[in-house]
Formats: sequence, C-alpha cells, structure tokens
Amino acid sequence: MNVFRVSGAKKRLGENRVLRGIDLDVRKGEVLSLVGPSGSGKSTFLRTLNRLIELDSGSILFKGASIIDMDPVGLRRNVVLVTQEAVMLPGTVKENILYGPELAGMKDGCDAGKCLIEAGLSADFSAKDASKLSGGEKKRVSLARALALRPEVLLLDEPTVGVDPKRVKRMERTILKAARSRGLTVVWVTHDIPQAMRVSDRIANLKKGKVVEVKNAGEFEWEGAY
Amino acid sequence: MGGGILSGLPYTWEEGLVILGLTLVLFVLAIAVSIFKRIGIAKEYTIALIRGSVQLFFTAGILYLLFEFEWWYYPIWLMLIAMILMGGYTSAKRASKMPGAYKVTTPSILIGGTIVLLILWITGAMPSEPQFIIPLSGMVFGNSMTICSLALNRLIREFETNRPSLETMLSLGATPKEAMEEFARMSVKAALIPNIDSLKTLGIIFIPGAMAGLLIAGTNPILAAEYQIIVFLMILCGGLITSLIAVYLARGMLFTKAYQIAEWI
Repeated sequence: MNVFRVSGAKKRLGENRVLRGIDLDVRKGEVLSLVGPSGSGKSTFLRTLNRLIELDSGSILFKGASIIDMDPVGLRRNVVLVTQEAVMLPGTVKENILYGPELAGMKDGCDAGKCLIEAGLSADFSAKDASKLSGGEKKRVSLARALALRPEVLLLDEPTVGVDPKRVKRMERTILKAARSRGLTVVWVTHDIPQAMRVSDRIANLKKGKVVEVKNAGEFEWEGAY
Repeated sequence: MGGGILSGLPYTWEEGLVILGLTLVLFVLAIAVSIFKRIGIAKEYTIALIRGSVQLFFTAGILYLLFEFEWWYYPIWLMLIAMILMGGYTSAKRASKMPGAYKVTTPSILIGGTIVLLILWITGAMPSEPQFIIPLSGMVFGNSMTICSLALNRLIREFETNRPSLETMLSLGATPKEAMEEFARMSVKAALIPNIDSLKTLGIIFIPGAMAGLLIAGTNPILAAEYQIIVFLMILCGGLITSLIAVYLARGMLFTKAYQIAEWI
C-alpha cells in the first residue's frame, strides 16, 4: 500500500525550476532515501510532502486523499519533518519535546523521557537547556520531538549532517530502531550514498528536479549516481 | 496677518520671515561644513528642508483658511482621511518587501488613531474646534504611522532571521498564530521603545510639542503639563493599538492560507 503517491510535482522558487515533474510512490513502512547532488530538489521535495511548500502543479496523495484537501496542521502532525538545522526552541529539552503534543492537546500526554531514550539519549536530558546541547544532541532531541507526536511518517532532512563521524552509524541505527518499532514510514534525504544503501529499503535518485531512477537499496549502483 | 493671539509670538509674520532668513544663514554654514568634511548629507539635508518647508507652509495656509471658514467641519474630514492614507502609504513604503503592505498599515493606523481621537473627543480633551482636532490628529496619526513602520520592519526582520525556527514550529503542527507569537510580541515591544523612552525623559531632556505650543501661547505651565500628559498617554495607547493590529494583520501576509511561510520572505 502506498502512503504517498506523487504525480507530476512541479515547483519554481523565484527563477529556479526546482522540481520539474516528480513521479514517486512511497510505500507504507518502508525507508525510502532521496539522493542526488546539491540543488537537485531533495529538500524542497521533502517539504512538499507535509505541505510546508506548495506545489505549482502536480498532485500528492496521502493515503489516497489529496493533501490539498487536508488540514495542514493535521497533516504535519502525522507527517513530521525533522529539519537539517535541528533548531531548538527556547526552553528545556522537555519543553521542546512536548511542544507539538501540547499544541495538539494530546491528553494522555507524552513521556518526554521515553522519547529521549528512543532517540538515543538519556532521560536525564529532559531538564537541560536545549540551546546548550551539542550538535549531535540537538539532532537527537529533534528526532525525539518528532516521535513525541506519534506520527505515521517521518521526513528526515540530512539527519546525520553535523553528527560526529564516529557516531553517524549509531545515529542511523537509532533512527531505524525507532522507525521499525513504531512501524513508521521514513523518507530520508541524504547526499551520502553509502548511507542511503545502509539504511534504505529503496533509493530514489533525483537529478535536476526529476526522479531519474528508483531501485531497491541492494540493486542501487552508486558509481555514476551523481 | 499679525502675530498676537494666533501665533502667541511677540512679532509679526513679516518680522518672522527676517528671523527665518537669519537662521538659514546658520543652516548654510552647517551645510558648508558638511561639504568641507565630506559627510555626504548636504544634498539630502537641503532637499529635505525645502520639501518640509513647502509642505509646512502649504498646510499652514490651509489651516489659516480653515480656522476662518464657517463650515470647517467639512474639509476637516478630508484632511483626516488624507492623513490616514498618507500615513498608511508612508508606513507601507518602509515595509516595501511585503507585497500589499498598505493593506496592513492603513487599517492599523486608521483604527489605532481613531480610537484614541474618539476618547480625546468624548472626554473633552479635544474640543470640536479645528485648532485642536488638526494638531492632535496629526500627532496621533503621525505617531501611529511611525510605530506601525517600526513594528512591521522588526517583524519582517524576525521572519527573515528566524525562518528555520518558524519552519520547525510549523512542522510540529503549530498554526501561524502560534508560530509567530513570540516574534509578534518582540516586534510590538521594540516598536514602543522610542515612545517609552520619550515618556521617561519627558520634561527633562525635551519639552514635547503640545506643551511647547501651549507655553508659547501663554498657557499656565501646570495646565500645559497636564494636557501634555493626557496627549502623551493617548499617543502611547494609539501606538500600542496600531502595532497590535499591524502584527495581527501582517500574519495574513507572512503566511499563506495553507500555513506556509510566504515565498516573498
């Protein structure tokens, strides 16, 4: 079953035609990586999936319904984007994690400590000032913050950029473990093809705003991919 | 056209022109120094002075006719509308990055200023006479215009520098209102700082316009001070209301209907 069905997605930003007609399906429960050179439209495309960026033309169906007809807030709580910058909101780590659930009025609440552990941090981090964390810790808090909303889809924009190289694989395992245990669908943007081959079920290769190939990770040939 | 009651000054307007000429000599000297020191403001300064003087004399001429005119209340409406439209246009130019900014600035200045003027009129602080209505309206709408520009400029700057934060909040299911709350608060506060600083230094560093005018016209200083405080309070309220409305209306320009950050930012 497809979670997303994207057809003919086009987007122009200023004079730049960033997306030039993307056709792509995202299957339920899979980890799909989007790879491609800088400027190929990966991050823009990722933001069209939760409607942070509106398409100029084309369509995106989420579980069979057009996202245009959905409440954007409801869509974003279900399809959560983890941005590359891992921006921390003012306050403690716990306040950051509970930001989304509190806005959503999730009455049964969310255990910030549990989400932190799932994201590979100790529950003791809850009381820390979020702005004083290291880059890697911020990335993990961003992940915990997204998980706290109990989404169906995670959109990850370069989730390991800025993480200590020795800890990249650990971070990958943490993400995959959380995704598998919750049955999440993951769309993972990365410029690192070996990483895409490690973490993905399928890989979509973007060039100049178009998907030029989609292959199972095992069949993807990374020579000449860019 | 003499001095006396209308001007409160101890000379006629013809004598005033001579004094104006003498002060211009000082201005010319200052400009000469600025050219010599290559400060680069001589041209702009001179144009501003000529433009300002022409505008002021034009307004003075209209006011003179108005004060003498039996049906003054008809043209006064036109003047008030012109003040609001001009204020909205000028403030919108300051926020020129925002497409259609006048749709934010004009109603903000209109509502903020009108509420205050109505209160001044109802309480009797602004009698229904053109001598009161025109200068007080000028002060109120002028201040609302400045505060509107400051608030909008700050808000746009906050959006430009905090785009990743805003995107993060929207991604976590915040509505535009929730996402911009802190930035709106900061913008309103920043816009009001010059007014608050003026209030703090009132009477120490400067004697503001209304009080200065009343003193020159020979009003009792205590009464002049009391009136100035009433006017200042109203101006502050007008500024606060204007800035709150401006950031509220700006939301529709800063975000799309689908809760995305507008592409012009």
